[in-house]
Amino acid sequence: MNKPILSLFDPDNWREIGHALARNKTRTFLTAFGIFWGTAMLAMLMGGASGLKGVLYRNFSGFATNCGAIEPGQRTISYMGFNKGSWWELTMEDAEVIRAAAPAIDALTTVDINGVTAAYGMQSTSARAMGVESSYSRIQNPVIENGRFINQSDDEKTRKVAVIGRNVAKTLFDSKNPVGERVSLNGVYFTIIGVASQTGEASIGGRIDDNFILPASTHRQVFNRGNKIGFIVFTAPSGHRPSDNETSIRRILSRRHSIHPDDENAVGMMDISEMFEMVDNIFMGVSLLALFVGLGSLMAGVVGVGNIMWIIVKERTHEFGVRRAIGAKPLDITMQELSESIVLTLVAGAAGVCFAALILGIADKLTYDPVLGNAGFEIPFGMAVGIILTFFVLGSAAGTLPAIKAMRIKPIEALQDK
Amino acid sequence: MIIKLKDVNKTYPGIVPLHVLKDINLEIERGELVSIMGASGSGKSTLLNILGILDNYDSGEYFLDGVLIRNLNENRAAELRNRMIGFVFQSFNLINYKNALENVALPLFYQGVSRRKRNEMAMQQLERMGLADRAHHLPGELSGGQKQRVAIARALITRPSIILADEPTGALDSHTSKEVMEVFRSLNTEGMTIVIVTHDPKVGQATNRIIHIADGQIVNE
Repeated sequence: MNKPILSLFDPDNWREIGHALARNKTRTFLTAFGIFWGTAMLAMLMGGASGLKGVLYRNFSGFATNCGAIEPGQRTISYMGFNKGSWWELTMEDAEVIRAAAPAIDALTTVDINGVTAAYGMQSTSARAMGVESSYSRIQNPVIENGRFINQSDDEKTRKVAVIGRNVAKTLFDSKNPVGERVSLNGVYFTIIGVASQTGEASIGGRIDDNFILPASTHRQVFNRGNKIGFIVFTAPSGHRPSDNETSIRRILSRRHSIHPDDENAVGMMDISEMFEMVDNIFMGVSLLALFVGLGSLMAGVVGVGNIMWIIVKERTHEFGVRRAIGAKPLDITMQELSESIVLTLVAGAAGVCFAALILGIADKLTYDPVLGNAGFEIPFGMAVGIILTFFVLGSAAGTLPAIKAMRIKPIEALQDK
Repeated sequence: MIIKLKDVNKTYPGIVPLHVLKDINLEIERGELVSIMGASGSGKSTLLNILGILDNYDSGEYFLDGVLIRNLNENRAAELRNRMIGFVFQSFNLINYKNALENVALPLFYQGVSRRKRNEMAMQQLERMGLADRAHHLPGELSGGQKQRVAIARALITRPSIILADEPTGALDSHTSKEVMEVFRSLNTEGMTIVIVTHDPKVGQATNRIIHIADGQIVNE
């Protein structure tokens, strides 16, 4: 006798599925539309959440997300002869001690910024001069459009070199290549060694495009900063967070600058990874909400399939009786009923995923940025397959109860059903 | 002996249980053309359902071609119906979205016969019924007599041991009824055992043996 599972591959079985679904075209269309819309909603919401996250995250492109910053502030507790409200300043020595003693530092750079008047030939403009160490590029990765970035040797040898931001270069040099040219910053000449820009929006001390970047030692010397620095930026190694260093850093600075150990406001500490974590959590919430809403739409579609399958079983009871009388086994009837619900859900579900991919593709095109690239409005292939498989499982589940009902109908009762 | 019923009883449960078959004893030899006649509610359809393994009986014994039919599970019952019994119904019971060829071939689908083979065999049966030119017509495009001949072709396709016909001429005019009975007689002369349930005396007269049933009992032959 026939093996019911194998009969699924018989061409007549597929023709029967087609006939059964085509018998009431409006009903089939509306049911299929419910599934189509459920799948499309789920895929669009998931892909949309991912795209929104991409829109936000691409602003941080090139910027280390496990980054922390230390900046000096005002004492809020009088301590060891220093009044409440007095300022203290970070020094190069602080940076060295922190670099050596803090437990979780990967890259660290001192940063000092001041406004300058930059001049080249007859052109001049206002800009910022930022003194940093070579490790700066490991914290904010600049896009080197021409030449090179400052290196350790530039810093050690206090070379009068500078990397010029793209916008400043445009102002001073127009279309001329600035590399190798000499620029005056507040009357001191620097040789331009590179042109840099940044991809994202996040930056340390303003956009690279608008700044001059100098070796830290040169910046301190030229602008008479002595051993003073503006702030320190650092990254934590993998598996650590910048805030893992907080206790140690506070203790060091408290001791070195006579800050009350409990005066937390005197030392400004920022853990950017915490902000990223918060953003991640927000988007996880958005994704979960999208999943919840999408699954709700999907479930509505699946319930619709189940409902239609119940009606189809009721309508075809007599036919099932005839089939049983001429030799169909209960499982034959079950497989026939199940295959109809599976085909309906798979075809409509796949169409829904394709529609969602189309809409997300349009959204991705509309949000495309020539510098930042695509936002990522897309359904990963795995997710698309997952959604279709979920529908396959749910479609089967929706058809299972009606199929079991169809299987349990006694042939004699089915034949008498009109 | 192809059919042997011994003291078969059937009661439908309910507030007032209905004892529809009472100690039925019946023997039908291979190659017989038999009609079972009786008024409505006499139990003849219940008897046919039991003979067709569509319904169970409560007590007694029923042997079909030597096989004891009792407490069969649904799969075994389906298998025996498919292999041993050909059904012909009053209202034809063709599947209306399948053409004549597909309707006739359907029992072979449940045997796992390949599509080509079953269509070939179905065409042979339609030719035998003089309906080869109607093979690709839907039931809605056929006359009553043609529909019943398609149903007979479907009943014959698995080469069953017996054909059970429930009021096969009930929905047909007298001329078409006569034609259908001619088909049955022709099949019977080829050796096919046929049992027809009817309340039409003309149909009964066209068979070789008439079994009268009344109030759940065989009253005379």
